[in-house]
Amino acid sequence: MIELPSRPGRRTLLVGLGAITAVWIAAGLAFPDSWAGALLSIAASPSTHTAMLRLAVPIALAAIGGIFAEKSGVINIGIEGLLIVSAFSAILVTFWLGAGESTLALSHHWWGFAVGVLVSTLFALLFAIVCIEFKADQIIAGLAVWLIALGLAPFASRIVFQSPNTAGVGRFENVTIPVLSELPVVGYLLFDTPPQVYIMLGAAVVGWYLLNRTAFGRWVVASGENPKALDTAGVDVRRVRYAAVLLSGVFAGLGGAGFALGQLGTFAGSGETAIGGRGFIAIATYLFANYHPIGALLGSFLFAGLESVQIQLQNLGYAVPTELIRTVPYVTVIVVLVFVGKTRLPEAAGESYDADED
Amino acid sequence: MREDLERLLERLVHASVLERVAISFAALLAAILLGGVLVFVSGAFATCRSGLDLAGATFCYNPMQVYYELFLGALGHPLEGGWELHNYNLATTLRQTTLLIFAGLSVAVAFRAGLFNIGTQGQLVVGGLTTAVTVLFAASYLPSGFVGTVLLVPIGVLAGAVGGGFYGAIPGALKAYAGANEVITTIMLNFIAVGVTSTLLSWRFQDPASDNPQTRAVPEYAEIPNLPLVGFSPRMNFSLLALGFAIALIVGIAWLLARTAFGYELRTTGVQPAAAAYGGVDEKRMTVASMTLSGALGGIGGAFWVLMEHGRWLENVPDLGFDGIAVSILAGNNPLGVGFAAFLFGVLDSGSNSINTATDVPPELVGVLSGTIILFVAMPEFFRMIGRRYVDLEDSVPARSTGGEADD
Repeated sequence: MIELPSRPGRRTLLVGLGAITAVWIAAGLAFPDSWAGALLSIAASPSTHTAMLRLAVPIALAAIGGIFAEKSGVINIGIEGLLIVSAFSAILVTFWLGAGESTLALSHHWWGFAVGVLVSTLFALLFAIVCIEFKADQIIAGLAVWLIALGLAPFASRIVFQSPNTAGVGRFENVTIPVLSELPVVGYLLFDTPPQVYIMLGAAVVGWYLLNRTAFGRWVVASGENPKALDTAGVDVRRVRYAAVLLSGVFAGLGGAGFALGQLGTFAGSGETAIGGRGFIAIATYLFANYHPIGALLGSFLFAGLESVQIQLQNLGYAVPTELIRTVPYVTVIVVLVFVGKTRLPEAAGESYDADED
Repeated sequence: MREDLERLLERLVHASVLERVAISFAALLAAILLGGVLVFVSGAFATCRSGLDLAGATFCYNPMQVYYELFLGALGHPLEGGWELHNYNLATTLRQTTLLIFAGLSVAVAFRAGLFNIGTQGQLVVGGLTTAVTVLFAASYLPSGFVGTVLLVPIGVLAGAVGGGFYGAIPGALKAYAGANEVITTIMLNFIAVGVTSTLLSWRFQDPASDNPQTRAVPEYAEIPNLPLVGFSPRMNFSLLALGFAIALIVGIAWLLARTAFGYELRTTGVQPAAAAYGGVDEKRMTVASMTLSGALGGIGGAFWVLMEHGRWLENVPDLGFDGIAVSILAGNNPLGVGFAAFLFGVLDSGSNSINTATDVPPELVGVLSGTIILFVAMPEFFRMIGRRYVDLEDSVPARSTGGEADD
C-alpha cells in the first residue's frame, strides 16, 4: 500500500468536524432565522434526540455483534439478514401469542423479543457451521444469509397475514426510572425511554468489557489476527470463532427484535424490508469506529442522528435531498477507509482456519 | 516461467471443471429439496379449503405442483395443449436470462482477477441512467427511423458501458492505490449509486408527465429492435437480438480470458498475485482494469434493462446485480457456465410469476431458493464430505479449502 501524501488521521478528522459544528452552532445562535438556525433548533430539540436513540438501536447492536465476528476472523456480511429475521419473528410470535397479554407474568412482547433473538442466533449458528465446518467463502455465505432472510420474511408474512406486511402488535412502553428521569438533559434521554435503548446502552458496555478486558476478548482478537499462534497456545480456534459468530447473532437479534417491538410495532417485508439496509450501515459503523464497541455506539448515534434530523426537517416541510443524505454513512466509511487509514481488517479475516495446514 | 504457469493453470482448471459442475448440480438439487420441504411445512400454517390432512394438520401446499409451475410455467407450459413458442412467459424468462448474462459476466470477470465485485448492482444502476440520459439527449440530434436505431442503440449500450465502467473503476482504484477492501467499498457504492441516481433524477431527469420516479421514455426506434418473423412480439419486451449479443459477449469474454495476453495476466493476478507481479504484471493497473471491465459489463446490463425492458430508466431497479453474483457463483465464474446459470435464474424469475398466479404459495419462495442455492454452492466441502462417505474420491479430488474462487 502506498502512502498517500495526506493522511489526516482520525483525530484531525474529528477536530475538523468539531470546528465545522462550532461554526454552525455559532451561526445558528447568531441568526436564528437562517437555515443554520432552523437546523440548530431541530438538532437541539428533545424529540430529535429521543428519535435518534431509538433509530440507533439496530445499527449499534448489529455493529457490536459484527465487531465480534469480524475480529475473530469471520466477516459477517449477513448481519442485515439477522436483523430481518429477528425483527420479523419477534413481531410474528408476539402476534401469535396475542399482543398486550402475558404468559408466566411476562408480557408477550418479551416472549416475542426472546424468540427474535433466538432465531437470529440460530441463523448465526447456521452461518458459523457453513463457514467454519464446511469452509464456505464467508462473503458468499453472508450474502446468502441476507438473501434468504430477504425472501423468507415476506414469504412467511404472506402465509400468515396474506401480505408482505405483518399486522401491528403495538410497541414497548417507556420504562421511567423515578428520580433519575427528573435530571436535566440526560433525564428524559436515558431514564425515560423504551427498554431497547437500555439494552443497547448496556450491550455496548458489555461488548466493550468482553472484548477488551477478558481472556475471551483476547482470544477473539488473536483468532482473527494470528489463529496459528492462538492454536499453539492451546486454545481451540474453531470454538472461539463459533462463540464470536453466535455472539454476533445474539447482538444483532437484540437489535432487530428491539427495533421491531420498540420502534416499528409492525414489519414491512416488501422490497428491502423495514430494516432497509441498517445492517449494512452497521458494517459501515464498526469500520468507522475501527472495531471499538463504544465507538460503534457513538458512530450509530451519528448516523441515526442524521436520519432523525432529516425526518424532522421533512416533517416541518423543508425540501431535503433525502436520498443524498442517506448516502452519508456509506460515503463516510469509504472516506475513512481510504484517507484516515489505520482501519484495517484483521489479518486472517475471511480465511477459514485449518489446524492441519502446513 | 510463463509456460509453467500456463500449464499449472490449465491443469487446475481441467482437474476441477467436472467437480465444479457436479457441485453446482448437487447444490441446485439440495436447494430444490430444501425448498420443497419449506413449501410443504409452511403449508401447515396457511389456511385453505382443501389440502393434505396429516397428523391432525392440514398441509395446503403441494411442492410438486409448485415446482411444476416454477419450471414449466417459466416456459409457458410446453406440456399442455395450445403451447406456442412465442409466449409471454418464455419471453420473460429469456429477457431475464439476457440481463443476467451481463450481470453474471460482470461478477465473473472480477472474480477471475481475484476481486469480489458486489457492486455490479450499483454499476448497473449507474450504467442504466447514463444510457437513458445519453439516448434522450442524442435522439434530438439524430434522424429517426432505421438510421436512428442503428446509431442510437450502439450509443446507448456504449454509454451504459462507460457509466458502469467508470463506477466500477472507483472501487478498483480505491483497492489498488489506497488498499481499501473492494468487498466493503462495492457494498457501500451500491447504496451511494441509489442515492446519487435518485437525486439526479429528481434534480434534472424526471419525466414531467409522470408521478412515478422515472425518466422520459426514449423514442421507440431507440429501443432494441425485434427480429421480423422469428422474433417475439414487441409487447413482450424481449428481443432475440439482445440475447444474441449477450451470447456473443459470453464467447468474447471467454476468448479474452483464455486466449489473450490481457486475460492471461488477469487470471494469473487472480490466482497468484506474486507470480504475476514477478512475471511483469502491474498489479495495481490490473486491479483497476479488471474492475473497469467488470463495471462496464454491469453497465451494459443496465443499458439493456433500459433499452429492452422499459424504454426508460426507473428509480426502482430490480436486484439484477445481486442475482448476477448468484449466477456467477453457480457457474464457477466460468463465462460459458454463466450462460446456463443465467438461464436457470431467468427461469426462477419468470417462474415466480407463474407460482403467484397458479398457486397460493407466496412468490417470495424464489428469493429463498436462490439464496439457498448460493449457500450450497459456497460450501463445496459439504458435498465433498458426502461424496467421500459414499464414493472413494480421495485420489481424484484435490483437497482444497476455498470455494467460490476460480482456478484455485
